[in-house]
Amino acid sequence: MATDFWTWTAAILTLAILSFLYDDNAFYRTAEHLFIGVANGYSIVLSWYNVVIPHMIDPLVGAFRTTREQGFTTAFFTFDELNVLNPYNDNNFFIIIPMMVGSLYITRFIPKISWMIRIPIGITMGYYTAIAIPASFKASIVRQLEASILTRADFSSWSVLIYGLFIFVTTVATLVYFFFSAEHKGFLRPVSNIGILAVMVGFGASFGLTVMARISLAIGRFVFIFKDWLGIVH
Amino acid sequence: MQEEKTVWQKMMSVDRRIIYLMVAVVMIVPIIFPFDQPVRVAERTTGAMFQAIDNFPNENGVFLISADLNPQDQPELYPMLVSWIRHCFHRDIKVLVLCLFPASLGLAEQALNQVATEFNNRAARGVGRRVVYGEDFVFLGWTPPPIVPILGLGENIFDVFPRDFYGDDLRTMPIMVDNRIRNYRNMDMIGSLSASSTPITYIAFAQARFGIRVTAGITAVSAADFYPYIDSGQLTGMLEGMKGAAEYEQLIAEYFPHDDGRRMATEGMSSQSATHIAIIIMILIGNFCYFMQRRVENRRSV
Repeated sequence: MATDFWTWTAAILTLAILSFLYDDNAFYRTAEHLFIGVANGYSIVLSWYNVVIPHMIDPLVGAFRTTREQGFTTAFFTFDELNVLNPYNDNNFFIIIPMMVGSLYITRFIPKISWMIRIPIGITMGYYTAIAIPASFKASIVRQLEASILTRADFSSWSVLIYGLFIFVTTVATLVYFFFSAEHKGFLRPVSNIGILAVMVGFGASFGLTVMARISLAIGRFVFIFKDWLGIVH
Repeated sequence: MQEEKTVWQKMMSVDRRIIYLMVAVVMIVPIIFPFDQPVRVAERTTGAMFQAIDNFPNENGVFLISADLNPQDQPELYPMLVSWIRHCFHRDIKVLVLCLFPASLGLAEQALNQVATEFNNRAARGVGRRVVYGEDFVFLGWTPPPIVPILGLGENIFDVFPRDFYGDDLRTMPIMVDNRIRNYRNMDMIGSLSASSTPITYIAFAQARFGIRVTAGITAVSAADFYPYIDSGQLTGMLEGMKGAAEYEQLIAEYFPHDDGRRMATEGMSSQSATHIAIIIMILIGNFCYFMQRRVENRRSV
């Protein structure tokens, strides 16, 4: 049996969480609250040391230190390596701008000026939308469309051809099934039926994989309990 | 007067806790008394990934691992991370590990330390080679938001990670200097280990823009979503769940017989198979009872 204090802590918390399978109880709720508290505290401390200090405080303090050591000279308006007005330098005053914009998130708690939170949200959304649309379109639509097209390579062997045809037919049939602008009758009916069959096979595969994933998580905990904690298994 | 429940109805309304207990027993017994469970390697996924990493240029190949695993994904993703690091160390491939989310830091650091200790202990016994932090591998740590390192590593790694996780200057580290690592052009592949769609983000931003190959280690839940990316050639192989991790451990054992490290995913495979069989039987019984009950009701209505 393990003698490490943290192994015991992890084992007791694991049992406390698993006790929910019987019914809701105080042990489960204690472990749940502990997890949320620890996770939040961990994130806050990490954000402070990995984000706020190196990306905000250090560059600003460095810029003030450089200015104090060298004085405010005309050299500040040139793009040399020590220039604290050069946004590409490690230490620069321009960090104040994103700092101020980011701080506007706090206005959420001041009703009179809470509208100002839209500024950082707008900048963030605009930035991510502009970056994501072309990249996602290319990676998830254009390349996937290319992959579903039958090419000369698909005729290299029977097995490749059958697989390629299968992908082609099921892709077209699934798209037809989700095409709601025309009534599914005549030729569209059997094609959309193939589409729904493909969708059902996909759901079945996802369900099977989900079962496998959840079982794996439980196995991981049981291996920990019987091997790492109790030492029954070697 | 209330009609008495049929045996089929009773079977279909068994207390869920009894089902949990049955599943737990089926799961635990093979952990304590494991049976021989052959692991067949899937060529399109695990095999393709193993071959891709194995064919990196030895001694100066560079593998960037984005270790985005959380404690809840540990049974599936942690063995994958350990196997990747083992494979790279065996082949003298340089390993850079970063995290896109803070919850992953502890597990990523633990995996690096575990494998480094394994190799150095073996080297002390005269088997294999030693690995040194800063020369063979480096832990870059975490910098938010995720898009910043994904795009930034395409330009200049030192802008995103001026220092490693422990606060040491990255620019002067032998692994970076000797291998002239500056951006994706100096790396052979990205391995994205995640329970979410992070590998697709790497495909969209790192691969589409900078042309670097991407491979993925994912939880079984999301595996179905990633198969189209294998077919399109955007993913160079993938590991899906505990089974994928066990397959990779199998390949490591075949190619490097002196590797005596713990095979965490393989340990759970006999339990995995037994539980799957139990669940299939339960589904069959449930369906059988449903149809039998329907038959009884049809007869009553006639």
